[in-house]
Amino acid sequence: MDIEKLQAELDKDLEMLRARDFWGALALIGCAVFFLWRTSFIPFLGENRAGVSGAEWYNSAAIVPFGIWLAMLLLGLVLLRIAIKAGGAKRAFSSVGLGWNRQEAIRIGSIAVIMGMFIFALVPRVDFILASGLVITALIYGFHAGRLGRMLQAAGAVTLPGIYALSMHFPQAEWNKPHDDDWVVLAAWMLLSVWMLVHDRSRIARSTPWIALLTPLILVTAMAFGFRQNVPNRGGLLFSQIEYHYYVTLRPLWRD
Amino acid sequence: MEFFLSQLQGFGGAFSALVTDPITYPYIVISVFLGIVFGALPGLTATLAVTILTGFFGNKIPLDYALIALLGAYVGAIYGGSYPSILLNIPGTAASAATAMDGHPLAKQGRGAEALGLTTTGSFVGTLIGTAALLVFVWALLLISQSIASPEKALLALFGILLSGTLMSEDLVVKGWIAGLAGLAMAMVGLDPLLSEPRYTFGWSYLMSGFQVVPVLMGAFAIPQIIEGLRQVDPGKVIALKGRILPNLAAVRRHMPTIARSGVIGTGVGALPGVGEDVAGWVSYGVGKSASHDGKNFGKGSIEGLLSSETANNACIGGALIPLLVLGIPGSPPAAALMGAFKLNNIIPGPTIDPSIILRVCAIMVLASLTMFIMGLFTARVFIQILRLPQTVFLPVVLILTTIGSFSVGGGINDLYLMLGVGALAYFMNLMRYPIAPLVIGVILGGLFDETFRRSLLLSDGDLSGFFTRPTAAVLLALNVALIAGQMPVVRRAFAKMRKR
Repeated sequence: MDIEKLQAELDKDLEMLRARDFWGALALIGCAVFFLWRTSFIPFLGENRAGVSGAEWYNSAAIVPFGIWLAMLLLGLVLLRIAIKAGGAKRAFSSVGLGWNRQEAIRIGSIAVIMGMFIFALVPRVDFILASGLVITALIYGFHAGRLGRMLQAAGAVTLPGIYALSMHFPQAEWNKPHDDDWVVLAAWMLLSVWMLVHDRSRIARSTPWIALLTPLILVTAMAFGFRQNVPNRGGLLFSQIEYHYYVTLRPLWRD
Repeated sequence: MEFFLSQLQGFGGAFSALVTDPITYPYIVISVFLGIVFGALPGLTATLAVTILTGFFGNKIPLDYALIALLGAYVGAIYGGSYPSILLNIPGTAASAATAMDGHPLAKQGRGAEALGLTTTGSFVGTLIGTAALLVFVWALLLISQSIASPEKALLALFGILLSGTLMSEDLVVKGWIAGLAGLAMAMVGLDPLLSEPRYTFGWSYLMSGFQVVPVLMGAFAIPQIIEGLRQVDPGKVIALKGRILPNLAAVRRHMPTIARSGVIGTGVGALPGVGEDVAGWVSYGVGKSASHDGKNFGKGSIEGLLSSETANNACIGGALIPLLVLGIPGSPPAAALMGAFKLNNIIPGPTIDPSIILRVCAIMVLASLTMFIMGLFTARVFIQILRLPQTVFLPVVLILTTIGSFSVGGGINDLYLMLGVGALAYFMNLMRYPIAPLVIGVILGGLFDETFRRSLLLSDGDLSGFFTRPTAAVLLALNVALIAGQMPVVRRAFAKMRKR
């Protein structure tokens, strides 16, 4: 009985996979056609460029890309055939057939928003320690207990300061300076930490502020002063102070 | 005989240089420790350990020390995966999936400490077997590879991509090939290597230099892992250890034939381009089941079964380094990350590699396995504590590690965009059961394939006969054709008919 049940589940998984493969194959075919068209911009059959004779077919920069995208197109068609034969096309238009799960969609959506805001909005504009602290806190708070409400709150806690930083300091010229957006992120981080500590008394919740503070602090200082590497947003609220005191207060102690 | 003696002499020199350098020790101890931690934490992998350390050490310290850090983490992580396999029934890494089959039943029988002790010994001996093979075969292959020219290199790169696509696919083989081709396509971005013709840059100057290896590695291996792992998971109940971990010599001697056989299998599987430690573990487990007199007890708590997989996955490391160092083709996904570190240091693995690097790699492997052995036997209880750490706590830290690692290698915010883009692609590929390793191997070997394929055509004025008139090229071409044809239904049906007859 158990084996039958397991087999039925496996069959259902395979049906779902083939429905996804149907869409995947269509996307792949679309991609292959688009890039074949883009590859046609690269000189191929002895074309001239700016009056200079271009490549012969056999050393053209387009030959390998043409081969790759033609192979992709072919494999896309093979995958489409497999998906259709396995009934993927029939189930491709139903959410059940695709294996749509609202809870999972919210979970992944929240993670995507947090990661997107972190990389696109916060890291370029806000002090790295503050941005990372906020994101670590949000991810632990939002996903440790597996509750949807918390996931959305965590996404909101990162999105609001992210949108603020994006809208107020969009141009690259404004990225590497201490700004009001650093303070907004700091406030969001504090609020989220307090909220987390009030609503959750577990050991994980109590240790989260320490993890969120110490991880980026150690990493950034090790990178900047240990490995002497570039770190994001050197002019950020905290890092600019750390860097100043490292060179002005601390370093003379062993240099002198 | 003279060859072996000269090899041993060279290795002895490299080993003594390594052990007499005091800086070696902090690097080896910390990296092996970190590797075991990464391996022991379900949700983190050996590939991720090597990838993250590549971001940190790849081009920031001399290559000699970077190699210690990366190989130490590699050896440690493959071994570390055995802890959760045995004590939680959750493989810490894919390489340890077969270990759980017998390791956990043994732990439930109260023989967890014995299992850990023998696993540690098997992993140690396995790594040494792999390293010995690396030391011996790499030179023989290097001599052969001197005669390899552009056509052979192009076909070999293609073979590596296709083979990893074929063997790493969980679902359809065609998906593995698509993943490999997607990696190849990503490697086409930027100025082409022969004519400096821009390809797929869409007017973005960042793309002129092509995709950087480290952000691609971080995106492909870390981001899907973070997205997938950020969910509430019952960490399971760690089975308490009873008795001593240190194995007795009689038991080790009794199981030595299994350890030796698994070590050889692991090394052989590792030497196949793009095939990782997980395949080595399963192949050795399968062979062990049919070859061992204890085969009927495999899956019920057999020490032989445990050693079959655990020795093979560590032996695979040495095997995976053979194609990497000789041909510039990574033998496993962590070896692909290692290749990223070589690239960062402008070292091109292959026939032109400095032989002293190979000797140093062998010396590091021996020292790393010894460190792992000592740590495994005497500090195992520390690693067991780590198993209790929930992944929702350490994965956000991994996100920060990958972000700063990617940023610091290229020093630009664009690398982070690339990391996130590749991560999103890899996540969806995972969701649709496309393997990720062929994608990364495609990105790494794409440049080599493009350059050598076109150079072959350029030298022969477009004459394709160079790909089948040269003996080695002809063999490689036949292998590529056989690999593709072997997956075609028509050919499979024909073979099935022949077999019936």
